[in-house]
Amino acid sequence: MNGTTATVGRDVGRILEALGGLMIVSIVVSLVWREWFGAVAFGASALVPLAVGYGLHRRFADADSPSRLHGMVVAATGWLLVGVFGSLPFLLVAWGVHLGLPTTIEGTPTLAAFRDPLNAVFESTSGFTGTGLTMTDNEEVLPRSLQWWRTFIEWIGGVGVIVLTTAILARPGSGSLTLYESEARSEKIHPSIVSTVRTIWWIFLLFTFVSILVLWLVGMPMWDAINHAMTALATGGFSVTDNSIATYDSAAIDAALIPIMLLGSIAFPVHYLILQGDLRNFYTDLQTRWVFIYMSAGSALLWAFLYVGPYDSPLRAVRYGVFQFVSAATCTGFQTAVDATNVALGAWPAQAQLLVAFGMFVGGAAGSTVGGIKIIRGLTLIKGIRYHVADVFYPDSAVRRLNINGRRLTETEANREFVEATIIAVLWTTFLVVGTVLLLVILPTEKFSLANAVFEVASAQGNVGLSSGITGPDSLPTVGKVAFLGHMWIGRLEIIPILVALRTLLNRGGMYP
Amino acid sequence: MNVRDLPIVRTIYESGADDRVFDGLLLAGPFVVVLIAGLGRSFVTELLAVAYVGVFLGYVLYRGIRG
Repeated sequence: MNGTTATVGRDVGRILEALGGLMIVSIVVSLVWREWFGAVAFGASALVPLAVGYGLHRRFADADSPSRLHGMVVAATGWLLVGVFGSLPFLLVAWGVHLGLPTTIEGTPTLAAFRDPLNAVFESTSGFTGTGLTMTDNEEVLPRSLQWWRTFIEWIGGVGVIVLTTAILARPGSGSLTLYESEARSEKIHPSIVSTVRTIWWIFLLFTFVSILVLWLVGMPMWDAINHAMTALATGGFSVTDNSIATYDSAAIDAALIPIMLLGSIAFPVHYLILQGDLRNFYTDLQTRWVFIYMSAGSALLWAFLYVGPYDSPLRAVRYGVFQFVSAATCTGFQTAVDATNVALGAWPAQAQLLVAFGMFVGGAAGSTVGGIKIIRGLTLIKGIRYHVADVFYPDSAVRRLNINGRRLTETEANREFVEATIIAVLWTTFLVVGTVLLLVILPTEKFSLANAVFEVASAQGNVGLSSGITGPDSLPTVGKVAFLGHMWIGRLEIIPILVALRTLLNRGGMYP
Repeated sequence: MNVRDLPIVRTIYESGADDRVFDGLLLAGPFVVVLIAGLGRSFVTELLAVAYVGVFLGYVLYRGIRG
């Protein structure tokens, strides 16, 4: 058996075992809500990834530790399969109700949308990637079991399925670092990667409990607080209400969610240092400092666009402008600007929509739960361009250094980091343009503008979930749903692992020289 | 047998910020949430939630100022 197949098979098997475990854990929620059929659906769904995962894990138990290539292929394949297998609870519940199996779960058009496997896979992938674009028309009428599953997969996906698998199943020295890095993470809290991922989960759990109680205190019902705290912290954005956060029409809830979303957009190592008492990291860490600068500047600009645009009151413009920019730039995707309460995002002026799309493009700090190209890459690009332009003014013999986040990089190191940031930014933009053109071709031109299309693709690829009204079970054509699956997938893994996996696949298939 | 020797408790103590207060908050978190969910909104449960969040924020600030 080929070494790559064995290593990839073994590690993907572990990821699927972890996915099966998540489904088993979710049975408790169905039982609490007395949705017996939900419990059966979770149990039956769990059997599939557990059986496949166990088979792969056992079959390739002696495989070599993963190399960098293996890590990328594992990440790409694992995330793809997690999206596919994670759709099973949606499919089973929807079909069970449709076929009249004994259940107390009510059949609704919203639930019926999940009888289409593509819709179910879309919802699952959107959840795991922390995107939050949805195939539901009304989340409120979904059974609690599925509301929970949507929330839970976003919460897990925010930190990462490989991080979860490493924390539970990996042993030290088994190539965990390679896998960890392939999931768009590089920061280490401890020398050991297993200790690092366990600390990440420790921080995430503690913040989750605090967030739940904060949201409950400002007026959310407990079930809503649990779900929204989990999806806000994971910067996912799935909601259990029909109109996202706009449902509450509460400035207190809007205000409470902003710091929770910001927490999710700050790197875990910084959280760890802050919990250790080193509060200076709020301003000494380059990315964290820029999270606040960039969110403030973006919110102020959006406020200006909205005040001279759709909102006649400066306070309303502040409330919606700040919340929506933070929601976009942290890649959360909660909406307070919807039709029912005010002016929907899709009806905002083009400059406001494009500013929000820019927020989604950049995202928050690397090493957090956000999408986008990440602030550190944006800063590297700016500093790198300045460095290269200034190069002309120095003699050839000059020895120059580039300072990034307290690190003094040599010319070789600076070039490497600049090239890496450039590649990600160029690929990100390329896929954004391709996706936008595709949407413009398949959507009715009289209904959606160019700004709407750019906004929606940036939202999918940045793993944000804000919608200008394009995404929906009926409004988005099948081609668009498939394309968005791709955008969410490449956005979550920062593109390169997907391209490496595709090249490996084509290479093995003899289609690549 | 020490409480720290229990399987989940041991993992939490070994994984965190090496601080008894934060570990305690993490361990108490699910109980507080379940208790509030069970009892509903009242002065007592609101006080409990305020105490939990207050201890967390206060302790972060305390450690920051002290450290």
